[in-house]
Amino acid sequence: MQEPLDALENRIAELRRAIRSALAAGEDERLRDLRAELRRAERSWEALVTPPDRPEEDRQGLASLLPAREQVHQALTLLGTPAAPKLISAVHEAFFAGRLAPSRLASLRRDEERSYRAAPGARPYYLCPALMSDLLSPARALLCVSTWALEQRITGPLSPRVDFLTAAIRIAQAAPSLSGPGTASPSAAVERLLRRFAMNIPGAGPADPGGNLSSEAIAAAAQAELDIHSAQDQDDRAQAARRARQQLSDAEQLFGTRLTAIPGTGTAPR
Amino acid sequence: MTLLTSLARLEAAASGRARPLSQVRHRRLAGQPLVIIPLTLAGDPDTPVAAMTGTSRADQHLLAVPQPRDRDLRLGFLTGLAQIVLGYIASRQHATEVLPATRNHEERRRYADAPQILVPNRAARDYLGLLGRSTRFQRTDGPFPVDPAVPALGKWLTFFADSADQPGSALLADLTSLLAEHWASGQSPLEDASLAAQLAWIDPPPGMTGLQAALATEDPLRCPPAGPATDPGFDQAILEPLVRNYDRAAQAGSQAGTDRAAAEITSALRGQLEPTWNAVGDAMSLLRALPETAGAARRWATDRDSFTRFSSYIGDGGLPQPRRDHAATAAARLDRLERAQAAYDAERALEDPFILAELRTAGEAFAGEVVSAQPSRTTTTTAGRTILRPRFTVRTDDPVRIEPGRVLICPTRPGQRIRIADLPRTGTDAEVVLEVIQGMGTPAKPKPGAVPPLGELVSYTIDPGYWAQRDFPPVDQTPWTHGGPPVRQRADQAEEPQS
Amino acid sequence: MTSADSRLDRLRGSTPPLSHTARTVAALTANPGCARRALMDAAGADKAVIAAHVGFPQASGASQSPFALARGAIFETQVKTGGGADLIRLLRDRLRLALPEVSYSDLESVGGNTDRDVRYQRTRALLLRAARHPDQAGTLYDHPLLKLQVGGHLAYLEPDVVAFQIGGKFHVIEIKSFAVIDGQADEESVAAAAMQAAAYILALQDLLTAESLPTGAVSTDAILVTPENFSRQATATFIDVRKQVSTLRRQLARMTRIDLLLDALPAGLTFDLAPEPDGNPSRSPGDLAGALEAVPARYQPRCLQTCELAGFCRDEARAAGALTVLGSVVRDDLGGLDSISTALALASGSREPSADQADIARALRHARNLSNTLSGGAA
Repeated sequence: MQEPLDALENRIAELRRAIRSALAAGEDERLRDLRAELRRAERSWEALVTPPDRPEEDRQGLASLLPAREQVHQALTLLGTPAAPKLISAVHEAFFAGRLAPSRLASLRRDEERSYRAAPGARPYYLCPALMSDLLSPARALLCVSTWALEQRITGPLSPRVDFLTAAIRIAQAAPSLSGPGTASPSAAVERLLRRFAMNIPGAGPADPGGNLSSEAIAAAAQAELDIHSAQDQDDRAQAARRARQQLSDAEQLFGTRLTAIPGTGTAPR
Repeated sequence: MTLLTSLARLEAAASGRARPLSQVRHRRLAGQPLVIIPLTLAGDPDTPVAAMTGTSRADQHLLAVPQPRDRDLRLGFLTGLAQIVLGYIASRQHATEVLPATRNHEERRRYADAPQILVPNRAARDYLGLLGRSTRFQRTDGPFPVDPAVPALGKWLTFFADSADQPGSALLADLTSLLAEHWASGQSPLEDASLAAQLAWIDPPPGMTGLQAALATEDPLRCPPAGPATDPGFDQAILEPLVRNYDRAAQAGSQAGTDRAAAEITSALRGQLEPTWNAVGDAMSLLRALPETAGAARRWATDRDSFTRFSSYIGDGGLPQPRRDHAATAAARLDRLERAQAAYDAERALEDPFILAELRTAGEAFAGEVVSAQPSRTTTTTAGRTILRPRFTVRTDDPVRIEPGRVLICPTRPGQRIRIADLPRTGTDAEVVLEVIQGMGTPAKPKPGAVPPLGELVSYTIDPGYWAQRDFPPVDQTPWTHGGPPVRQRADQAEEPQS
Repeated sequence: MTSADSRLDRLRGSTPPLSHTARTVAALTANPGCARRALMDAAGADKAVIAAHVGFPQASGASQSPFALARGAIFETQVKTGGGADLIRLLRDRLRLALPEVSYSDLESVGGNTDRDVRYQRTRALLLRAARHPDQAGTLYDHPLLKLQVGGHLAYLEPDVVAFQIGGKFHVIEIKSFAVIDGQADEESVAAAAMQAAAYILALQDLLTAESLPTGAVSTDAILVTPENFSRQATATFIDVRKQVSTLRRQLARMTRIDLLLDALPAGLTFDLAPEPDGNPSRSPGDLAGALEAVPARYQPRCLQTCELAGFCRDEARAAGALTVLGSVVRDDLGGLDSISTALALASGSREPSADQADIARALRHARNLSNTLSGGAA
């Protein structure tokens, strides 16, 4: 499980490498985009190494151990893919201390967007919606982390399935071994979470419905199916990411753009 | 529905009050039945929300689930219900009687009493069956164990629900069906499914017609529905906000808060159930006032046999009844039930002039005057023996639809068996030629009075034994509540529990 | 707009027409012989409001309980998460959907725009592209928006999911929260779901027909996704809805010949509540009831479960002494008769039967004699 800071530093290093090769190849436009992204990543890194915010009060006036946004960030970092509130909540319950009610996520997106627009880059990361590949609009119920690459935050036609499989792999890897001897048995929450994945991935589940799960089997089966879809999915996402960098502002690249014109009539989104 | 009953409904509609039908009860009404009034959330069998139970008007118990989607609370409810039902069943297992040995059976013991569960309507009866189905496979071990009382409840509820399908069984009965056997309302059968509406037709408050009283019961504010589905208006206005209070208190970790919310929910549910509880009591009073037939006692004995067998099966650690493969057995089952129903009708006709009259309008029984007789008629068997086969003719204007050859019984001469030898019709009349084939004696010693005297008015109905004798259903399709084989020894998987 | 449409608009009055949903479209087939219902549905009149104003408010049906609605929403969300993971599993297991077919298109909003016309255009574009170029088609379409001509108005219909790439056909998928237990489910619920699916199938067929594409590309096997037994696990049941599709088509066609019914009405008839500026109806309930009575109805007890006007029509039928209030069994037993008083008069012999009433009259007299003997004997 990567710490946010590690992930950010890896990203920064990647961007720097990409800038050097773009320079060498003389790709001016790509260079511009990459530099803009590097600036954003470095601002986040700055903010991250300064002391954290005062813990939020939740709605009932009881202080929670960790603000909701931190909890969501933890869960998303484990998953590594855009995810719906229910999955985020289930992952958090399975792997982290403290309860995260899905209802606390209801106003999160709006709050995050407002906070960004008020002071862009002030926070080390923002929780933002995934973007739909066709119109670059915010996906209805998918959250991701702003420090992820744009490609990772875009969802194409095959992405729901791809993300489902990826989540299965990441969760299976994070769970302690489920059928090995001498290990603590996994919690009921982890088991429940894994079982839902196992049932819906061919070859992942135990032979009989009440049998033991194997996280290795789940990860392997998910990877096997993932191999079928990933090339096309990455292609879809990369194409959309290119368009986004060309057409959208910084804020829109994080929070998406809203369509105000009829598709196919030639009216491009603002 | 027979024409006789339709006529009664027409008269009820015209007069504004229910009309009596059968005046005798063919099923036992136990001295202390267990009344169960279940409520489920919006009619979903998966989320029970309350059950009011009790064995007498004064002894009323309410089980409630404050947050119906909470699995633990639901389990608590099921465990509580199980304890009530199993406790009641155990209370019927004290006294036994000994049945002396006969030619076909050795001496055996059977319970002198049996449990009887009463519910308000057919939907509640079906719900108990579903509840049995959903609980009898639950495991007491494994990742989501339940109290052993719960699968035990499931097996018993399934037993009761299966018994209720047998015509004439009284182990589980619904009051709307029982009332409908004895009173005809002036509304449609669909509207009769409401216990309160039926009672309104039968016994309206002073100053109101049955119709007016029945229409008043359609207002859920004055008359909450008998369930199992809760009233959607109640759900929206009262239950949902209270459940939300409960959730908020639970999330805040406040025990006092959840207790208070639970008490409010219980109180609201009681308000929804109590009117039905009273209606059930009223219905039972009406039914108790009717005399019981000898057949009712006989059928109750069959029920006690069935109860004894199942108790013994459970006592031996019986596995839950297997899941039904509806497609495969549906046709055979329907056939079996139709025969059982016809036999039940014919038995009742022998003890109940109303039922006999009903069958006469349907052509399945007839009555008329004896117009000629041949009391000394004989025939020769293939073996060369001479036997007595008296004949007589009855003229009737009933629309007889019984084929020649069918065996009949006369209610006033139950020891005899009669067969239709010929059925010539002239216009609307028929002159049925009947032959006595049993109970007439021999040519050497004929029984006097085997043939009714000329001019006597006699009636005949189909011998109930006709349905029992021919084509015994295959043994493995006889429900094992009625003597079929023991349950197949098959380890059934527990189902994935709701999280 | 046709003259029938403007007549229907006048009949309905000043309020805008009710939008149809698949459920209300399906309900059109419930009582095809009832002119009152046919006219009100064709005009888009609000039967619930009208019923309340004439003094017969209908108690809401079980589907309106907030718990029932929540239950349905929760199950639908569960089935659709993870890119429709449950659906993909079921389609792979039961219909041999190929492994690479996992594409998921969400049509509930188009770039954040939930305007119905925008969504419809987008749905139309995607589905037509799929029909013309199956190799470029997606697999699952979530909340597509379709159109169906109902009487004089276009209704927007929204199936739960439409799936493609199964034998090159579009399949309508309906997600319902009533359980299928041991392979059996509540008959009424299944029948309702089947008729709703038929509405969606008709809409899909019309979409293709308008572009001269073959309607054979729309499967007439609806896929019903429900919880299985007592778990939350989803299972799929296939329903052959060819009969429902043809019934619905016939009923919709009949609605376009609504002129016949309109011609029979008195001039100037309207169901308008004539609301004041503050919203209160100015039409007197008695007047409105008179307008309703001018249109013949065909009440049967089943109406109580399917039509908001049932209370009014039942009262009317009772006042007229109609046999139908006693239900279909009694009505069928007394085949040919339609009045309670006629039946009783024939039974008592105080009325002479006509030629075709002779048989039932005799049977009734016979029953009456038996009944008299019984009550003479018992007290």
